Amino acid sequence: MRAFGWRAVVVFALLATLPLVPGMSRYYLLLAFDALLFGAIAMSLDLLMGYTGLVSFGHAAFYGLGAYATAILMERGVQSVWACVGFALLVVGLYALVVSYFATARRGIYFALLTLIFAEVVYTFFRYTQTFGGSDGIQGLPDATLFPGLVLDTPVRKYYLVLVYLAGAYAICRVLVASHFGRVLVAIRENEDRARFLGYNVQRYKMGACMISALLTGVAGAIYPMRSAFATPDLMLWTESGEFIISVMIGGLGTLVGPIIGGAFFTILRDKVSSFVDWYFIVIGGVLIVIVLFMPRGLLGLRQLFARRSGRAAA
Amino acid sequence: MPYSTDLVDYVLTVLLPQLLHGLVFGAALGLLALGLTVIFGLLGVMNFAHGELYMLGAYAGIVVIGVTHSFWVALIAAPILVGVVGAVTEMTTLRPIYNREPLYGLILTFGLALVFREGARQIWGGDMRRILPPFTGSTPLLGMTYPNYRLFLLAASSVILLALWLFFTRTRAGIVVRAAVQDAEMLDGLGVDVRRVFTLTFAASGALAALAGLLLAPVFTVYPQMGVEMILLAFIVVILGGMGSMGGSVAAAFVIGITQSLFSLWMNPQRVAIAIFGIMIVVLIVRPRGFAGREGVLE
Repeated sequence: MRAFGWRAVVVFALLATLPLVPGMSRYYLLLAFDALLFGAIAMSLDLLMGYTGLVSFGHAAFYGLGAYATAILMERGVQSVWACVGFALLVVGLYALVVSYFATARRGIYFALLTLIFAEVVYTFFRYTQTFGGSDGIQGLPDATLFPGLVLDTPVRKYYLVLVYLAGAYAICRVLVASHFGRVLVAIRENEDRARFLGYNVQRYKMGACMISALLTGVAGAIYPMRSAFATPDLMLWTESGEFIISVMIGGLGTLVGPIIGGAFFTILRDKVSSFVDWYFIVIGGVLIVIVLFMPRGLLGLRQLFARRSGRAAA
Repeated sequence: MPYSTDLVDYVLTVLLPQLLHGLVFGAALGLLALGLTVIFGLLGVMNFAHGELYMLGAYAGIVVIGVTHSFWVALIAAPILVGVVGAVTEMTTLRPIYNREPLYGLILTFGLALVFREGARQIWGGDMRRILPPFTGSTPLLGMTYPNYRLFLLAASSVILLALWLFFTRTRAGIVVRAAVQDAEMLDGLGVDVRRVFTLTFAASGALAALAGLLLAPVFTVYPQMGVEMILLAFIVVILGGMGSMGGSVAAAFVIGITQSLFSLWMNPQRVAIAIFGIMIVVLIVRPRGFAGREGVLE
């Protein structure tokens, strides 16, 4: 609980009361689902980008593989949330093991490109394999069951599923970041050679961070079809990975909370702007450019600018 | 001997045209990758908006052809127009962040790409368009016939690549750009206006991408997403050639162009894509600096 912090408890408690807000429609609950899910993914990516200093351009593959794991099981009649998440962990874990083993041997732009190309292989495979529906993906999935008799068939139940997942993932990340492991990750970000000279097996730490980030993203992917009832190859497209990175940047690198806000902000912005104008990508691109130019520390950096000029937010 | 005539037949009617296809595509890909690798050398940024400049080149071509009814005027005007767009973009968005980490440049260009792509869709619509080749017909060549426009494409791209090589090795301006790729700070210390070099290089790289886009337009189709598909291939070429290495990029462009078209003889497009990604992964693991990159740079 100490790592979690009382403010986080309050925020999650408030989020838990969201379905009780009068006038809360099915549409807004599902939007909240998407916002929190996207926030959770951005937070997992922040573990890699903000704390370890590795920019992954392939997180969409972890996300998409998780979604396909659920979709494939559901198509075959398995509806248990636990089975789907377990299968997703297995599939994403195996794939992430390969990717992180090779990618973490390289730094900087090469890491980004290796993750990108591995993800493109997965995308191309699912996009053209008719067993998994080709470009249409797997559609028309049933509702998932949490326990026998408890079917996640209403927006409220789905919302609580993602909220519990976000709280769990946030707790894991917080504990990790505060632990010795997390400190070593920051040391690697700041100066990889020095961390190595101190005797740390740098690649093993980087692989660890990569695996945890991938698995958390994979679980988010596994949850997504339980709300959308489909899994398509577009979930794995590299532009999707780009959107995860955007969310992290919008929120604030290396803060965990920032990317959650960034992901939610991005999802709501996309939804709201797209219901008014159909050129919403111009707005999103513009927001991104403005953020990079004028507020490189993201939305959370803004808060610090106004409050007190204390040291660095991250680590 | 029926076997050997079969073989000759196969080489002449299947292998050779496909090889030529690969050369043509490789040459155009070289134009695209060259700008990308120079920008990478200068700014340390993989320009995600490069594919969109390529796309804008094709659309600018459509506009100019619509006004003047001449492909040749478009071939001059479209790269200039896109070059101006590039220069303005560089001055307003990239210049302020030169001193920051490369990550910011990556994300900024990703945002620019979104704006350009959606802007094109708003202005010209989302449907596929075609540019008619300025001339038709085909030429008998080594026992086969080959479309004239593709031969022109190969010749034009090769001439431009050659001209660029002369520019980089024989002119003062070219040497200044290469010096900036090596060490911009030192160049600044020597009294060269580095900011102007950056802007002009970015504009020229955009113009080259536009030229590639317009030259390839009669062979492919024009649509707002066309840059997204090409940019990944261009990235692969740049890595394979060695980031920041111009000669390496051109060589890699031909290798990828030919590999892709030869592989597609024996595999479906999906397997070709995966095979090329596979080659790329192996290169990144075994020799990340590519053909001609400097050892240790950004590894």
